Amino acid sequence: MRIEKRLLSRVEGTAELELIWGNGYVQDVKIKIPSSRGIERVLEGRPFMDALVITPRVCGICGHAHLMACVKALEDAIGNVKLTQKAKLVRDITLTVEMIQNHIKWFYLFVMPDFIRLGEKIEDFEPFKGKKWKKAINASSQVVKIIAIFGGQWPHSSYAVPGGITSNFTTSDISRALSIAESVAEFFLEDVVGMDEEGFRSFRSAGLWEELKGDIGLFVNLCIKHKLEKVGSSYGRLLTGGEVFPCITPGHFTGEKKLCSLNLSKIKEVGSPSYSSVKVVRYNGLPYETGPLSRQFLSNNPFIKKLYKAYKDSYMTRVMARLLEIWELLDAIREKLYGLYALIKEPSYYHPYQKVEKVSGEGLGMVEAARGTLIHRVHISKGIITKYHIITPSVWNLGPRCEKYLGVAEKAIIGLEHPLHAEMVLRSFDVCSVCTTH
Amino acid sequence: MNVLWLQRLSCCGNTHSLLNCETFNALLKEVNFLFHPSLSLESEEELLSDITKGNVKLDLLILEGAVKMDDQRIKELCYIAEYVIAVGSCAVYGNVPALKDGNVCGLQYRFKEKGGLLGEDFVSKGGLPVINLSGCPAHPEWIVGVIRSLSKGIKPALDSFGRPKEFYSSLTHWGCTRNEYFEWKIEPESLGSKKGCLFYNYGCRGPMTYSSCNTILWNGMNSKTRAGTPCFGCTEFDFPRVGLFETKQFAGLPAELPIGVSKRGYIMLSGVAKMFAPERLKSED
Ligand code: SF4
Repeated sequence: MRIEKRLLSRVEGTAELELIWGNGYVQDVKIKIPSSRGIERVLEGRPFMDALVITPRVCGICGHAHLMACVKALEDAIGNVKLTQKAKLVRDITLTVEMIQNHIKWFYLFVMPDFIRLGEKIEDFEPFKGKKWKKAINASSQVVKIIAIFGGQWPHSSYAVPGGITSNFTTSDISRALSIAESVAEFFLEDVVGMDEEGFRSFRSAGLWEELKGDIGLFVNLCIKHKLEKVGSSYGRLLTGGEVFPCITPGHFTGEKKLCSLNLSKIKEVGSPSYSSVKVVRYNGLPYETGPLSRQFLSNNPFIKKLYKAYKDSYMTRVMARLLEIWELLDAIREKLYGLYALIKEPSYYHPYQKVEKVSGEGLGMVEAARGTLIHRVHISKGIITKYHIITPSVWNLGPRCEKYLGVAEKAIIGLEHPLHAEMVLRSFDVCSVCTTH
Repeated sequence: MNVLWLQRLSCCGNTHSLLNCETFNALLKEVNFLFHPSLSLESEEELLSDITKGNVKLDLLILEGAVKMDDQRIKELCYIAEYVIAVGSCAVYGNVPALKDGNVCGLQYRFKEKGGLLGEDFVSKGGLPVINLSGCPAHPEWIVGVIRSLSKGIKPALDSFGRPKEFYSSLTHWGCTRNEYFEWKIEPESLGSKKGCLFYNYGCRGPMTYSSCNTILWNGMNSKTRAGTPCFGCTEFDFPRVGLFETKQFAGLPAELPIGVSKRGYIMLSGVAKMFAPERLKSED
């Protein structure tokens, strides 16, 4: 038995892997995520609207998802809040944009450079220098302009408020957003999958992932070369709590055949072991993986269905799900942006309560963030927050073991034979330590 | 110029802000990033020990995130670097991570108290105190602008909080599309409008906050106040204040007036403004 500690960079924040080696493979693993910034405590005692400014500060890469979970939790607590279709659509659009931004950066900045460390000569992906690396940064900075159009800025906008959104916009704003979405779709087709739209759509409907070219084709080849297509499986239990209409629906998959709906009361937190400051969250007492793999599997993405059948929830499947989700999200955004033209005259906002001092109640907000299901819970008494509680996607995926079961990522790493593979499998969950220990 | 970017207690928002910079790729041709924890392949430990041994020259240290008061590593590196930048309000003032933890601070401040990790008299080798780029996050053009100046040997002039005057000498209010409504004291009927000024009812800190958010737009596109969200004053030491969407009133007046405006002047002007406000500003379309 030998214990090896590895500090992970190229993740959001930092994480430490403690690998316990024996007989040439990982016998056990502990994922440790350092210090917390105490955001939930900062919220207590403040007027509830302050949460719209403070919760996005949990995370620089997915702060917008925190804003959306927060506004939903506040609306739930206020009760009977009506939103115009326009406000709903715009919120959906900006939330989805943030995921696209995340997925592009994650693949080009965090995933592909790992193959350089495995000895591959892929200079295009080299940090600070590579052509592809630079192009990806450019594409992700383009797509967030859509959030800026509707929400003022990215990162850290607070434009979604109970009752709607703070901004109003014109048809040419929508058109500008559409043309940005188009340019990112072009990037996806040209670079990520290396083909025209027609070709991609036909491969998609048949789920022919082997036919994909471009950087995803390169990724598949590298996975097969390094035998990463089969490793990195966890429980194969998948969960999605939020919805991104029309491409993502909530539900869960127990690992058996049937897809099931989700029962919120079955989500519970249990005590965590001493090595971790991260909570343990279980559904129906069991660990579940959340994120793009769950979403794309549950919403029957043909590519992911086939990949799952062949390789289960492996490293390769997980990475492909996140990358191919970009297209599904782009499609949804374009459709919604077109839909906005007809709604331009609707108000952006309705004031949802009489007097702030009269607002009391409990609320829950659940959305899909880039890394999976994000839950905010709030208690408000006479307009003041008395309790705030956040369960991030990373708690589901990177959280530690409970008495009965290993954490999802822990389970996926056990059995690997190469320390770099262990890091890569961990990164395939899209590690966000800043979120995990808010 | 050799640049080292490190992170402590932060949300990494300044990193993502930086990556949004339109000319980030061009910057990479002008300066050499030794290491960035979210981006680099190399090991942080090896590089840092090379720097402390003097094998690698450190021209610019950029720190993102608040620090623990006993962070010797960062302290040591600050004394080695020619220049030190604190990027984002966490590294500048301590911000959110310092609110509930008395052992957490910024590099040279803890909120408004001078001192922080390095002490009030700290000056880096190049002869400047910590260059503070406050903001939650800091705007990419401010970050890149200062890096470029330093790489050309130009030392930025700093204000009393160590912030480059080039970006922090005017108010957020300057350039806001709602200025005309501010002048005539017209508030919006409700949120969600392109019209009306957010100072009177929604807590806008634009007239009390130094930043160039409305002259150098975010993502090259927009700003909070243009999008109908009040400015929360995130470049100032007292961010996040309690009651961020509220304008505190005192005897019928905003409890805080725009910087430099006297109470008497405000009362006189606003009376006149309300009386003579043009009709065209009062209707929604
Ligand atoms: S909204 Fe704020 S920044 Fe804009 S004019 Fe009014 S006070 Fe100034």
